Amino acid sequence: MKRRVLAVLMAAAMTASLTACGGGGSAETTQAAGGTETTAAAEQEKAAGETKTASEPSDGGYELALVTDLGTIDDKSFNQGAWEGLTKYAEENKISYKYYQPQEGTTDSYLETIGLAVEGGAKLIVCPGYLFEEPVFLAQDQFKDTHFILLDGEPHSGDYSEYRTNDNVMPILFQEDQAGFLAGYAAVKEGYTKLGFMGGMAVPAVIRFGYGFIEGAEAAAAELGVSGIEVMYNYTGAFAATPEAQSMAASWYQNGTEVIFGCGGAVGNSVMAAAQEKGAKVIGVDVDQSFESETVITSAMKLLSNSVYDGVKAFYDGSFPGGKTSVFTVENEGVGLPMDTSKFETFTQADYDAIYAKLVAGEFELVQPSADNIDPTADLTVSATTIKYVE
Amino acid sequence: MSVIYFIFQQTMLFTIPLMIVALGGMFSERSGVVNIALEGIMIMGAFTGILFLNLTGGSMSGQLQLILAILIAMVTGGVFSLTHAYAAINMKADQTISGTALNMFAPAFAIFVARVIQGVQQVQFNNTFRIDSVPVLGKIPVLGPMLFQNAYITTYLGIIILLVSALVLYRTRFGLRLRACGEHPQAADAAGINVYRMQYAGVVISGALAGLGGLVFVVPTSTNFNADVAGYGFLAIAVLIFGQWKPWKILGASLFFGLMKAVAAAYSGIPFLASMGIPSYLYKMVPYIATMVVLMFTSKNSQAPRASGIPFDKGQR
Repeated sequence: MKRRVLAVLMAAAMTASLTACGGGGSAETTQAAGGTETTAAAEQEKAAGETKTASEPSDGGYELALVTDLGTIDDKSFNQGAWEGLTKYAEENKISYKYYQPQEGTTDSYLETIGLAVEGGAKLIVCPGYLFEEPVFLAQDQFKDTHFILLDGEPHSGDYSEYRTNDNVMPILFQEDQAGFLAGYAAVKEGYTKLGFMGGMAVPAVIRFGYGFIEGAEAAAAELGVSGIEVMYNYTGAFAATPEAQSMAASWYQNGTEVIFGCGGAVGNSVMAAAQEKGAKVIGVDVDQSFESETVITSAMKLLSNSVYDGVKAFYDGSFPGGKTSVFTVENEGVGLPMDTSKFETFTQADYDAIYAKLVAGEFELVQPSADNIDPTADLTVSATTIKYVE
Repeated sequence: MSVIYFIFQQTMLFTIPLMIVALGGMFSERSGVVNIALEGIMIMGAFTGILFLNLTGGSMSGQLQLILAILIAMVTGGVFSLTHAYAAINMKADQTISGTALNMFAPAFAIFVARVIQGVQQVQFNNTFRIDSVPVLGKIPVLGPMLFQNAYITTYLGIIILLVSALVLYRTRFGLRLRACGEHPQAADAAGINVYRMQYAGVVISGALAGLGGLVFVVPTSTNFNADVAGYGFLAIAVLIFGQWKPWKILGASLFFGLMKAVAAAYSGIPFLASMGIPSYLYKMVPYIATMVVLMFTSKNSQAPRASGIPFDKGQR
């Protein structure tokens, strides 16, 4: 008996640690299992405060739909940004809208939920996250009359053998490296010389953020004529707040690091906790995180809501840019820093505008991560900066 | 020297919650009820505690607020564990299954309630509880920086809990009876002890400590609570086994786990460790390898309470 209990225990511990490592985190998965369709009950809307879950249905059901990935529409990041863009346009133009939450993070489940949205009257469905690449690939043929906006990915078949974007799909990609570049540049311009980068899982978007961050620091150092910039660099391997992440950030701060770019969902919260303890600074990611902690000096933002808003608007204006991938970059103000809420002392709006203009003009060539490599020391050649890659 | 103090302070962040929760598990198992719901109870305790910090954030701050949150977390944990106690003791259910049920219920409940109350599932809180340096004590050489600087009152609370646990378990009538119920409940029953009541006590104490452990775990680690304690409840069970169900050995085990976890996480910021070039995986593996080795050598004459996990049946002799 005892041995059996122990075996079950060990198995449970293993699954727990596994789920704890797996991207979205166990909490969110459990939550997603809650139900396919979120109700638009009036009480819930009231309780939800800022986040409205759906509008009143029009005759044809809900025209605009968003299918969430593993997160929720208030994840303070990806889904929320997309949802805000959608609701903004819908509220302005009195269009009915609603969000749907898949039961689990599988292609079948996503596809099923997309089907549910179509049945619910959706004409345009927003799918945030690269996990939707395959579901949208299948859905674009299955639902020819419905339009899709796919964030952070391009539709492809399950075995990556075929990439195809039909006219009813608008894939959106972001140049994360440019956002990272701006953050790194601003940090060094601000006078920091010891920087840190703590990513979540080493997915392409996170790697691009990290590379851009280093290159931005390097560019600013070259401009200022200083050398000896140090960048500590690590992927924590998960998007969760853990004592491990807190300890690592605290040890870096202890060792002299002045500002850490917390680039991986809740990892940032652990970095903020360490920064509060050590009186140091943090750079946020994806959305403006300045309200989460006093220590956040700025955030490397992807302007998700802008991109979704533009996409929805284009759809209703009859100029839906389907069939080809839209890349949001500095050129169409798809990435940037929130200068209004940033706590810079020497880095001014004018400095920001200047470097932004230079990026737009293509004065910096940003290195893209090579295939199967996540180590910045292997891809980047830097002179004024020392990269300390922590495995 | 400051590096050693730093590692020690970080070790405490891992050690104290692990120790508190493992001690909780000890009380439950020593009474004869396996409690693998520690993870779920941690989440519940952390949730109500943090929610209290969140709701009272504007009107109060500092140590009093933390102490109230601690009490709330302990009460929540105790009450929540009653469901496990009822299933395991009254209904004689499989204790592994009812524990698992609690583990699955807790995060879902925390997210649901958080969203009903405030619309988002992350519960923000403001950490105003860190003590830079304890007056007078913080100035003691060596011990001062290790124990009384950059600390939380929960650290001292953890030490008090350890002392009280050891005292209660080995020096009181209650402790003796509790242990008897875990070893041979029929004998205890024959001696006139109310086994059900003792087992309820064991489980509720474990719930209260696990709830507290959850709060202690979250406060220094993040700026919000997202219905997750990263598997530390299960890790606490490993600590409990590694510590052979004995308070002082549990202290040793949690210190060992804590130190290894702290070093694995922080070595990159510590010059002499970073320069040694040992991959962090090694540090991460050591506690688990050690647990397995200890299990291998002790499984023959395991110190586990003999009746742990077996529902008490009055009629069985």
